[in-house]
Amino acid sequence: MTQHATVTGSWSEQFRRFEHNGAEISPAWLRDVRRSAFGDFERLGFPTARRGNEPWKYTNVRPIADATFALAEYDPDVSAGIDLHAYELPCPRVHQLVFVDGHYEPGLSTEPVTEAGLHNDVLGRHGDGPVVGRLADAIEYRVPLVREHLGRLAPAPGNAFTALNTAFLRDGAFVQIPDGTFVPEPIYLLFISTGAQAVVTHPRVLIAAGADSSATVLQSFHSLDGGTYLTNALTEVVTAPGANLRLCTLQRESNDAFHIATTRMEQARDSRIASVVVDLGGRLVRRETATLLGASGASVSLNGLYYGAGKCHVDNQTFVDHAAPGASSNEVYKGILDDASHGVFSGGVLVRPDSQQTVAHQVNKNLLLSSDAEVDTQPKLEIYADDVTCTHGAAVGQLDADALFYLKSRGIGEDVARNLLVHGFVSEVLDAIEDGAVRQHVEQAVAGCLSGSR
Amino acid sequence: MLEVQGLHAEVNGVEILKGVDLSVGVDETHAIMGPNGSGKSTLAYVLAGRPGYEVTAGSVTFDGEDLLALPAEERARRGLFLSFQHPIEIPGVRMDHFLRAGYNELRKSAGEEQLDPLKFDRLIRNKAKAVEMEPAMTKRAVNEGFSGGEKKRNEVLQMAVLEPRLRILDEIDSGLDVDALREVARGITDLSVPGTSTILVTHYDRVLSYLEPDQVHVLINGRIARSGGRALAKEIEERGYDWLEAGAGV
Ligand SMILES: Nc1ncnc2c1ncn2[C@@H]1O[C@H](COP(=O)(O)OP(=O)(O)OP(=O)(O)O)[C@@H](O)[C@H]1O
Ligand SMILES: [Mg+2]
Repeated sequence: MTQHATVTGSWSEQFRRFEHNGAEISPAWLRDVRRSAFGDFERLGFPTARRGNEPWKYTNVRPIADATFALAEYDPDVSAGIDLHAYELPCPRVHQLVFVDGHYEPGLSTEPVTEAGLHNDVLGRHGDGPVVGRLADAIEYRVPLVREHLGRLAPAPGNAFTALNTAFLRDGAFVQIPDGTFVPEPIYLLFISTGAQAVVTHPRVLIAAGADSSATVLQSFHSLDGGTYLTNALTEVVTAPGANLRLCTLQRESNDAFHIATTRMEQARDSRIASVVVDLGGRLVRRETATLLGASGASVSLNGLYYGAGKCHVDNQTFVDHAAPGASSNEVYKGILDDASHGVFSGGVLVRPDSQQTVAHQVNKNLLLSSDAEVDTQPKLEIYADDVTCTHGAAVGQLDADALFYLKSRGIGEDVARNLLVHGFVSEVLDAIEDGAVRQHVEQAVAGCLSGSR
Repeated sequence: MLEVQGLHAEVNGVEILKGVDLSVGVDETHAIMGPNGSGKSTLAYVLAGRPGYEVTAGSVTFDGEDLLALPAEERARRGLFLSFQHPIEIPGVRMDHFLRAGYNELRKSAGEEQLDPLKFDRLIRNKAKAVEMEPAMTKRAVNEGFSGGEKKRNEVLQMAVLEPRLRILDEIDSGLDVDALREVARGITDLSVPGTSTILVTHYDRVLSYLEPDQVHVLINGRIARSGGRALAKEIEERGYDWLEAGAGV
């Protein structure tokens, strides 16, 4: 117990300071939400791999618990010096919000939001475009959706990192696609870490997709420099009936960074979410992606690519809750593990008793590029309905020696041949990104990462 | 062009080739026949440089150079091509990307300029049409889901693009229907520009009627048991290998 107190002690101090430093101008409901969340965090403490704590069996967050992180300060000079060129999407139009060390950066964002505009948009009275703005604005202007969903989809009592994120909630991104709206250009949420040492950010995103709407949202996490810092991101997503939402996450943190990311989604009837997550950086990465298929006809595809080098530890946990009949899920996660890196994949699928005609497929494949690399992979299927189609498969292997020889027999040298095979391995995941510009952007990041690795 | 002398080779510690001698001159076509498991594919792999095939004795020279000292990719860059008995499927790697990489590596080693994707696209389309293959197939993953015959045709396409000087065709005729066999054989003949030599591994005389061999060799138990002309292939088709095996001391 005493150890527990010291672990959360520095956070308590920080929370008090946070409440004093202007966070008190928030509405009372939000202050209550934050206080209650911090109480949850104090009660929970950081997770440990103690017996019976299955979800944390392979991932030790002790380095995070033992370190002291300070909330990042806003420094306009740093933001002004950032060259966004390297992060630009290859398309003429994009709805872009940029956060630097957790702080909204108006100079780099394309979406100025006014109170009137926000209200009109949210109520569907404005143009046909999406609302892409600061969560702080949406809170201040009392957007009903925010009060309704924020913290509901990702409840703090269940998870220490979720609790921390909510406890320090002040701003973030708010995306709302009005009913019947098709958004052709990507919505781009860019979170840049300056790489400052021992800093923590809690990026927060709320996405609400209206009935029969269609949009692509890319979340991207980058580091300008190689510091040891903590990103604790939380994304909540809710879809109305018939919504079609493509979500993509690209993570390129510094190789010394800690990256915790939690995504909780709730899907209505006939809505579809296609999610692709790509983890390329970080020293310790823990990504939880969960969806509730709460009504019939809902479908989700969860795709993931994770790359580990050095001593990187990258842990992906997915959870699909089939809580209604006739919903479907399809999961493809692939890992490439080099050097002494460690990958973890856990794929949870729950088919509740009345969820007949469920279709759930899950595949996890891992490519070990070094004899010191390791992976732990496990499906966790709980099926309580009888009329279901569920499959799962996991594979761990090296580059196919026969394929390597085939390529070489055509004059292709070792490095190029290995590269072709590695790209072949990941292409299935990247091909799942439907938006061309987003796919190209992510492909380039992956190519850069893989070619830099050898 | 190719001189194989007293070649012994092992796979997993088991000796498969037990002293192979073979001499292939420029513009010559040699057929190699022999019962299943006699070592024909092993010989092809050893020549192409497949890892795991260990040469324990003998020598191979290609244009006077020690072929066995070179890794597989260098052999290819010098103009050697192996058409696989069982072409490998490579999920996720597109045919045209793969072949462009190979083509450009060959050009690079020849000191020539690389071809950009657009120009290569034109090249591969034309080559695909020439070997009567649907150009759309070149956008698919290498051999993935190809039928047996399509895989063989794909080997011919690769040969058409890479333009090797020494072609080792391991059962290019297996699994082809009669029309496909004729087309594939025509493709191979069309590609036989002066200076090209061919080693053709086959079980059947039929393909030899298209590709007129200068010599026919029979490989039995890791050795060339007999060499002769086209008539030898006809005789094998009628009589099988028993009469030769007896002579080879098997
Ligand atoms: N990796 C291996 N490990 C052990 N034995 C092997 C291996 N590869 C080949 N062999 C053996 O070597 C022998 C020769 O095989 P090879 O494939 O060269 O025969 P082949 O003449 O091409 O036969 P086929 O006409 O059936 O294609 C066979 O007995 C085969 O089982
Ligand atoms: Mg064979």
